[in-house]
Amino acid sequence: MTTTTATTPGAGRAGRSGVGGAISAAAPPARSSGAGISGRTFTIVTWIVLVVFAVIWLIPSLFALKTSLSENGVAALGANEILSHWYPTLHSYSTLFGAGDIWNWYLASAITGILTTVLTVVFASMAAFALSRMHFRGRTTVMLMILLGIMIPSQVLIVPIFEMLGAANLLNTYWAVIFPQVPAVISVFIFKQFFDGIPRELEEAARIDGAGLWKIYWSVIMPLSRPVIAAVAILTFVGVWNNLLLPLFVLTNPNLMTIPVGLATVQGSFGQRFADIQAGAILAALPLVLLYLVFQRQIVEGVAGTGLKG
Amino acid sequence: MRVRTPLGSAGRRPVGRRTLLGSTAVLGASAALAGCGGPLGAGLVGSEVAPGTLVFWNLFGGGDGGRMQDMEKVYAKAHGGSSSLQATTFAWGNPYYSKVTLATVGNQPPDVAVAHLTRAKPLWDGGILDPISEDDLARVGLKTSDFNEKAWSAQVTDGKNIAIPLDTHPFVMFFNHDVMDKAGLLESDGSLTDLSGVETFESALEEIKGVTGSEALTSANVSETATPWRLFWSLYNQYEDATPFLSDGGAKITVDEDIYTDITARLQKWVEKGWLNRGIDYAGSQTQMATGKAGIYLQGEWEISTFQSIEGLKFGMAPIPTLFDRPAAQADSHTFILPKKDRTPEQLTQALGFIKSMLTESMTWAEGGHVPAYLPTYDSAEYKKLTPQSDYASAAENAYYDDAAWYGGSGSTFEATVGAQLALLQQGSTTPEGALSAIRGQLQTYLDTPSPL
Amino acid sequence: MTSATTTPNAPSAASADAPARRSGRGGRPSDRGTGPGAWLFLAPFGIFYLAFLLGPTIWMFVASFFNTSLVHRGLGSFAGLDNYVEMFSRADFWSSLWHTLQFTIYTVPPLVILAFVFAVLTNRLQRGQWFFRLAFFLPFILPSATISLIWVFIFTPATGLFASVQSLLGFTPGSGILADPKSAMVGIAIATVWWTIGFNFILYLAGLQDIPRELYEAAAVDGASTWQQIRHVTIPLLRRTTTLVILLQIIASLKIFDQVYLMTNGGPGISTQVSLGLITGTAFTDNRIGAASAASVLLFIIIVAIAVIREIVERVAARRDQEA
Repeated sequence: MTTTTATTPGAGRAGRSGVGGAISAAAPPARSSGAGISGRTFTIVTWIVLVVFAVIWLIPSLFALKTSLSENGVAALGANEILSHWYPTLHSYSTLFGAGDIWNWYLASAITGILTTVLTVVFASMAAFALSRMHFRGRTTVMLMILLGIMIPSQVLIVPIFEMLGAANLLNTYWAVIFPQVPAVISVFIFKQFFDGIPRELEEAARIDGAGLWKIYWSVIMPLSRPVIAAVAILTFVGVWNNLLLPLFVLTNPNLMTIPVGLATVQGSFGQRFADIQAGAILAALPLVLLYLVFQRQIVEGVAGTGLKG
Repeated sequence: MRVRTPLGSAGRRPVGRRTLLGSTAVLGASAALAGCGGPLGAGLVGSEVAPGTLVFWNLFGGGDGGRMQDMEKVYAKAHGGSSSLQATTFAWGNPYYSKVTLATVGNQPPDVAVAHLTRAKPLWDGGILDPISEDDLARVGLKTSDFNEKAWSAQVTDGKNIAIPLDTHPFVMFFNHDVMDKAGLLESDGSLTDLSGVETFESALEEIKGVTGSEALTSANVSETATPWRLFWSLYNQYEDATPFLSDGGAKITVDEDIYTDITARLQKWVEKGWLNRGIDYAGSQTQMATGKAGIYLQGEWEISTFQSIEGLKFGMAPIPTLFDRPAAQADSHTFILPKKDRTPEQLTQALGFIKSMLTESMTWAEGGHVPAYLPTYDSAEYKKLTPQSDYASAAENAYYDDAAWYGGSGSTFEATVGAQLALLQQGSTTPEGALSAIRGQLQTYLDTPSPL
Repeated sequence: MTSATTTPNAPSAASADAPARRSGRGGRPSDRGTGPGAWLFLAPFGIFYLAFLLGPTIWMFVASFFNTSLVHRGLGSFAGLDNYVEMFSRADFWSSLWHTLQFTIYTVPPLVILAFVFAVLTNRLQRGQWFFRLAFFLPFILPSATISLIWVFIFTPATGLFASVQSLLGFTPGSGILADPKSAMVGIAIATVWWTIGFNFILYLAGLQDIPRELYEAAAVDGASTWQQIRHVTIPLLRRTTTLVILLQIIASLKIFDQVYLMTNGGPGISTQVSLGLITGTAFTDNRIGAASAASVLLFIIIVAIAVIREIVERVAARRDQEA
């Protein structure tokens, strides 16, 4: 059993990353002995309940997918028509890709996602390195500021952030979406917690060879931190991709909008094109679904480990 | 008026912006990007996305949206293809006007945007708009006398032209031909008999009720706040001594309580008599008229397309009958505005040229029911032949716009607040006094607040 | 450690844990790295922290005392406490808080109970866990725009999927769940439960992994049935997770914006308007940055207060764990 002393919320949460790891390494069911008939019945009930709910949980996504593969005319008639027309069409997808807007939106989402992630990972890990490895005057103050920062609900700051971006002439640039999302204080906590666990001996050799702080950070600590880097990076990217509130107000140029904002605000003019709308919803989510399939484990561990939400 | 710096500073922008962005473009944003256009350059270093392309924003969905696109195509065709124009449609109402404001504050407004006339005024007060002088108009061969006088004078604010009206869209009366015929309310040529005067109108309602077996008149009031307001404001202004609802830019409620009570009590009486629906939503109110369960349906003229698309329905349109002292109908106008931005003379000409092009396509627009504000179209033989559109065109002469207020205008907080109470009145769940005091209570914050514009 | 069943190619979590275990407690700050070096490492993050977290917070407090306008530069005229007085006297301010509470009441029980049930059941499976993780968790990583577009379409009056299911079950679909002020928040809550249950599900799964198997074995030896094991072992030991889940959910509810903006935009009327909707409406539709800042400050205080409570609860729980 991993025991991490939970002295701070970050430490408490980060401490669970070990547990998160164990999720994927699914432990065999706890019920292993002496369960008898009640156990077997329970297992059957378990399967039934889970399958029923899983189906309920899958239906909305599958229905959206089915709608997106229908003609707009069919989709407008409602659920029964959508489900009774069997043959799929890619018409909506070709319309969206043909119109061009969606490529700009993908570009904005990708650029803001990647740049925010890079800046967050580098800057947060640097700060965490200082807090984990260095002794300096004011360290306590910095730790306190970080603690404070973790409690600040950044969404509530949308109004002042908008005003400050306006004063800096950054509205309607990608930076308006990137900069405010870089100081995700929780990331510093996660990195620090991890760095604290890396034994000092590993740095000693480098230190004896005369390596400076930067070298130790970059060549010793960071390479050892790949799992935590992956977790922070993926969660940051997903968070930025999904953010609506900030880009909704700071990006008003339709060419620069991220994909959720573009979908939410820019409307096609010809009536209600329901199949196109669902295709847009699917396309906005597609990169994240692929990301999930590739990095399932890091995402699940990251979420379990950090308790990041909203 | 103060000079507003976030907008006014546009002249200083390039230096400040480049310097700041230059220093922050640490990762990946190489200097090379500064030279390249497209969204990437715009997003990273603030360059223009597509220099030379006219950027146009509007809020039209449905049939209006389709017609607007047709008009845009005409412009694009004449100006070198689809790359000459980037038109974007946003969701209607407050979110749209919020976007126009934010984009202008954020230094990237569209070159031309559509705004309701009543919403252009708060935008102007907020310094979001560039005024348009007679000389500017002359650049593209337009002049004041080209426009419907009522709409044109309504947009003049602080002595400046702030918006160029495309149309007037008054609240009008739709009627089911068969029902009115059976009720004996049609002349031999198929036009309506004169329904002026409140007694005449009420007895007509009784006749219609006899034919439909249900309501005589439908006007949406469930999940709908704009329609009850439009109905009230139309009837209210038919009184000669009607005062403004709001005065001093929205600082005071000055509605004439006698007229208010008279009208609201009368509407309640109509409901009691079974002439007017108690509670019905937007779509339902149309269905009633279309299926002959009501003879008259009141709404803005844009619903013409809805009824034209119903096969086998014979319907007509007319101005709201004059029940009291004078003809009046609530109305607003769709206008073109120039959001505040630095423009070279060429860019100004380009923007105005686009507006001119849209105005000359007014006939397409008029097919959707809107009364053209552009007189060369309005006076044309072609428009006069267009029925039922030309049957109610006179309503535009008696248009009453919502009072100017920073929280007023079409789709505004004011309309939603007052309309909600009027809807409840019609449903019978509040009294005229109760509704008025609720309106006062809910608007108090806005009355007390100095305009932020 | 048991072998990874689902993602053998993923970087092993064991390597992540290993150093942590070896060194045990967090390391002490090194004696060597001192002085300006540390500040150089802190500076990049620190600048962003000051510019985009602390700075806006201070600016928000300051602007709340002024008639700041969206379209004018500067703070505008001094307003004293007017903006606060206004907020306290505004019915829509209180109703936005009430809607937040309403949303919390609608979503917390299903999000806690269903997530717990799903996790306990999934955790018992020998095979197929990946499938249920996918089904329950995948919606959580979707953008709010996607889930809102999906659910608005499902809730289409009369012809939508929801209406079809209602008809199948013998109900009469009304004018649409989102169109009626009485049920619109329920519609938003349904979409939200579907969307975010995966988060709590994962937290519970993590909590379940924390429970030593010996406890169940001991209970089984004592003759406890499966149900008794859940009741007397699982539920008490997951109490801390449950507290965490509920507090996180309350904080998330206070910050709700996306689904509401996208599904109803606060309507019909203001029947689903929530605090952030009121704030952004005041700021970006009414152009009143000052008043919006005052509302932001009030929401800020409420959220921070709950975060502090959460902190205290966690510490007390941690201390109790240590003592036990």
